[in-house]
Amino acid sequence: MWIERKALAAEIPAAKALDTRQLCELLAALGFPVDGVASREGGDVLDVDITANRGDAMSHRGMAREVAAKLRQPLTPLAPPPVTEGAPKVEVRLESPACPLYATALLSLGKGTTPPEAQAFLRALESSPKCLPAVDASNELLLRYGHPTHAFDADRIRGAVSVRWAIAGEKLVTLDGVTRTLTAQDLVIADEAGPIALAGVMGGDGTKVTEATRRVLLESAWFDPKTVRATARRHSLHTDASHRFGRGADPAMAAVARDLLVDRLQAWAGATLEGAWTAGSLPAPVAPVRLPEALLACVAGEPLPLAEAAETLRRLGCTVDVHPSLLVIQPPTWRHDLTIPADMAEEVLRLRGYEHIPSVLPPLEGPPVPLAADYLQRQAVARRLAHLGFHQTVTYGFISPEADVAYAAAGNAPEGRTLVNPLGQEYSVMRGTLLSSLKAVAEQNLRQATREIRLFEVAPIYVSSSQGPMERFTLGLVWGGTLGGEDYLSPARPVREADLSGIARDLGLASAPQVRSLGEGLFGFETPVSELPPAGARIIPAFRPFSRFPAVERDLSLLVDLGQSYETLASAMRDALPADVLQDLRCVDVFRHKSLPEGRQAWLMRVRFQADRTLVGTEVDGWMATALAAAESLGAKLRA
Amino acid sequence: MDHLLPPEIVEAGRAFPQALAACGDLDALLRLKGAYVGREGSHAARLMDLLKAAPKEQKRDLGAAINGLKQQWEEGLKARQTELEAAKKNLNALASNWDPSLPPPVPARGALHPLNRLMDRLVEVFRPLGFHVEEGPEVETEAHNFDGLNIPEDHPAKASSDTFYLAAHPELLLRTHTSPVQVRTLLRVAPELAKRGGIRFLAPGRVYRKDEIDPTHSPMFHQVEGMLVGHDIGMQHLKGTLEYALRALFGPHTEIRLRPSYFPFVEPGCEVDVSCPLCDAKGCRVCKGSGWVEILGAGLLHPNVLTYAGIDPGEWSGWAFGMGVERMAMMLSQTPDLRLFFENDQRFLKAMGGLD
Repeated sequence: MWIERKALAAEIPAAKALDTRQLCELLAALGFPVDGVASREGGDVLDVDITANRGDAMSHRGMAREVAAKLRQPLTPLAPPPVTEGAPKVEVRLESPACPLYATALLSLGKGTTPPEAQAFLRALESSPKCLPAVDASNELLLRYGHPTHAFDADRIRGAVSVRWAIAGEKLVTLDGVTRTLTAQDLVIADEAGPIALAGVMGGDGTKVTEATRRVLLESAWFDPKTVRATARRHSLHTDASHRFGRGADPAMAAVARDLLVDRLQAWAGATLEGAWTAGSLPAPVAPVRLPEALLACVAGEPLPLAEAAETLRRLGCTVDVHPSLLVIQPPTWRHDLTIPADMAEEVLRLRGYEHIPSVLPPLEGPPVPLAADYLQRQAVARRLAHLGFHQTVTYGFISPEADVAYAAAGNAPEGRTLVNPLGQEYSVMRGTLLSSLKAVAEQNLRQATREIRLFEVAPIYVSSSQGPMERFTLGLVWGGTLGGEDYLSPARPVREADLSGIARDLGLASAPQVRSLGEGLFGFETPVSELPPAGARIIPAFRPFSRFPAVERDLSLLVDLGQSYETLASAMRDALPADVLQDLRCVDVFRHKSLPEGRQAWLMRVRFQADRTLVGTEVDGWMATALAAAESLGAKLRA
Repeated sequence: MDHLLPPEIVEAGRAFPQALAACGDLDALLRLKGAYVGREGSHAARLMDLLKAAPKEQKRDLGAAINGLKQQWEEGLKARQTELEAAKKNLNALASNWDPSLPPPVPARGALHPLNRLMDRLVEVFRPLGFHVEEGPEVETEAHNFDGLNIPEDHPAKASSDTFYLAAHPELLLRTHTSPVQVRTLLRVAPELAKRGGIRFLAPGRVYRKDEIDPTHSPMFHQVEGMLVGHDIGMQHLKGTLEYALRALFGPHTEIRLRPSYFPFVEPGCEVDVSCPLCDAKGCRVCKGSGWVEILGAGLLHPNVLTYAGIDPGEWSGWAFGMGVERMAMMLSQTPDLRLFFENDQRFLKAMGGLD
C-alpha cells in the first residue's frame, strides 16, 4: 500500500522529525517492509508491504499507530465535530448477523468541489480524484483512516434500506458496469426494488453519485470479514473496501468515519445535514487473552518484567490487567489478529525490537537420527553419475499427454494423474516417465550444437492408483552424440546402446534396463531407484578369499552366425567349463567384414582361469577344447 | 698435380664438399660413397686404373695425388655418416618423446544440478546440529497442505487460480510448499515424541504454484523447510540455529537480522535477512545498497499446528523456517533468469553445478 510520508507524519507529531529513510527502517523493524519509495506531488510516498493479518494497518492512521507506539509518542486526536443523531430519515433494516452495525446520514449537497490538497493526496496514492466530493471524500477517508464508507444518491433509493442476504439469481450492476448474478451467500444492501450494493465490496451503478446528485445517503458500517472475502472471491472483485473489511475493519470506527465524511461534505460541498442515525450496535468484544509470564519468557528467550510488557501492550491500544505472573489483555477493537497468548508475546517482542532476542543453540533432548537409506542412495547415484560425466537435470513434474504416453508404462492410466487446472495442455499430466523430459532437454542441447549429450535426472514418476498418483523415485538417463575425438589418443565414434548398458552395469542394476532409441542419435533408459543396489549395511563387506596363484588367459577366435545370441553361446561355454577354475569368459572383439564367409561374424572370446594351485598348460588346453566343442555345438567354428 | 688427373675427376673432386653437404640422409650418403670410393665404376676405381696404366716416372706423384683425394673423400664421408647417424638417433628420440603440452585425454566430467547442490549443502550445514532429512510426496492432501498448518478454510492460496488440483481426486493437490512435511512428520512422531526427545529435521523438496513461467516465476520450484520441536523452545533458539547455519553457509562474519512478519503456521513470525554475502554488507546491486538480503521466513510453531498433530502445545514448542532454493541460488550466483535452472543447458549445468 502507498503511504504518504507527510500524511503519516501529520498523524503523529514526533514523526515529523523522521526522514524517509528512518521511517522505512522503523516500519521494517515493525514488520512492514518498504518495497520502494516514489516522489509524487512534492513529497515521498512509500510502497509499504502489509501482511494479510494486519487489516488495521492498511491506512495512514494505522501505520501512524504503529510508529507512535514504537516511538512512545501520542497520536493526533481524531475528533471530528460531533454529529447529533436523530430519528432515521430512511428506515435501515439489518437482516443478517454479518452486518451488526450501520451508521448513516442524509445530506443535501450544495456548491463546491474536492479541495486541491485532498486531490493531491489522492493522486500521490495513485487514486485519481473524481471531483465529486462525496466520492473523493470517501476515498480519502479510506486511505487516511482505513475505514471504507460509501455514498448513495439518496434520490435514487426506493423505500427502506435493508442489509440482507441476496436471493439466488438476483442481479446487480456494480459500479464497474458489470452485471453480477448474486448467490444466497452474498450480503447486499438493498432498497425495496432490489440490491443497490455488494456489502463491503462495491456499490451499485443505479444508485451511484454523479454530478447530478443532489442528496446523498452515507454508509459507514461493519461487515463480517469472512462474508466479504467470500463475496469478493466469488465475483473476482477485489477492491480497497473488500481488502479492509475482508481483513477486519474497526467497528468502533464506523460512527467516527461517518462523522468525518459528514464534516468533509459540509466543508467541501456546502452540504446540509438532514439527519444522522445508526442501526444496530457494536459487536460484542472478544474474550480477553491471558499471557502467562512463563510463556512470555519462553518465547522471548529471557524473563521480561510483566509491568514492562503491560506498558508495551497498552501503547498498542490494549487494556491490560497485571496479575501475579499473568497479564489479562483486552485487545483494541481494531486488532482482530490478537487472539492467543503467543500473539501477545509477539507484540511485546515486536515493539521491543527483534534485535534484542538472544541467540542460543537449542539443546539436544534426544539422539540425532541418521539420514534415511533411500535418501542417501539417491544422493550416491547422482554423485556417481556426475563423476561418470553425466549432468543432472531438473525438469517439471508435469508434461503433455503426448509426451507422457510415448514412454510411460502401458498400464499407468494418465487420467489418474491429470491436473484439473494446468497452466496449459503441455503441463497437464503428472509424468509417468522421465524419458520425455530428458529427451526434450537433450534435443534442446543438440540445437545448441552440443557434441555429446550426457544427462540424468533423479525424480519421482507418478503411478495412478485408486488413492491417487503414487510417487516412485526414478533414475532416467540419456546419452547421445559423438564420443571421443577431442584429443589425439581417443578416436571419435557415435554413442551406442551398449554404452548405456555399460552405465547400467556400472550402477549395479541387477537386470539390464530397456535401452530405448530416442532418435537423433540419442539413447535412454529409466529405472526405479529401488532397483539400484542399496548402500551396504556393513561398513566393510565380509572377506571372500581369492587365489594368489597366477591366472592363465587364452583367446579363442570363433566364426559364428550373424544372428547368434551372445548370451546363449557364452553360457553354453561357461557351463562346459569347471566352475572352480573359470574366472571370466567374455567377448572382447566383434569383427564383421566381407572377407568372412557370408552370414558369419568373428568373435574373439577371452577366457581366464585361476585356481588355488599353478595351472598346467595341458589341462588348460583341455578346457579350451571343451569350450570350443561347446561353441561348435551351437554352430560356431574356430576361425583359421 | 691436377694436370695429371682427368678434368672430370678434378671437377668431381671440387664438387665433393657440396655433394657431401647435400646428402640429407644415410641412403644418399651411401649413393655418394659408391660414386666416389666404390669398388667398381667410382672415381677412385677409375683413378686406380689410371695409376696402373701410368708411366713409371709419374707413378709416384700420381699415386700421392690419388691417395690424397681418396683420403679426403673417405674422411669426408665418414664424418658425414657420423653426423647423419646422430641426427637420425635424435629424430628417433624426438618421435618417442611425449609433449606434455599436447591436450591429453580427459575423463568426462558431469555435474550435479546447482539446485540439488545447494540443497545438499544446506543438509550438510544442519547435520552437526542433529537435523536429519524428512521427505513427503509432491501430490498432497488439502488437509496436509493447508488445514494442518492453521491456514484458514477460505485462504486465497487454496483457490484453483493459485494451486494445482488433480482432476480424478478433488481432495489432492500439488503441494504449494514443503510445510506439509511438517504436518506428516509431526503426526507420525507425536506418539513417541517424549521418547525421542523432540524432533528436528530439514525437508528439502519440489513444490508447485500456479505461476506463469517468466524470468522470476516458475510453476515448480524448490524449498527447504526446517523444523524443531522440543521443550521451552523460543525465538532465541530460532535465532541461534539460523545464525549458526547461515554463518556456516556464508562465512563466519555473517550477521543475521530478524524482522517481524506473518505466516499462518507460526506465531511469532519473522523474515530473516542475512548480511549481503556478495559485498560483505558494504552495499551492492544484489542487496540494493542496503547491505541485507532477505533469505527466509520463520517463526515459532503456532499452537494449532501442534494441536492438529496431536501434540500438546502446553508441553511442547518449536520453530520452523522455509527458504526458497531458487531465490537463494539466483542471489548467490547472480543468475539473471530463473528459467535457466529448468532449461538444463549442459554449459549452464557444468558451470553452475560442479561435482563436490
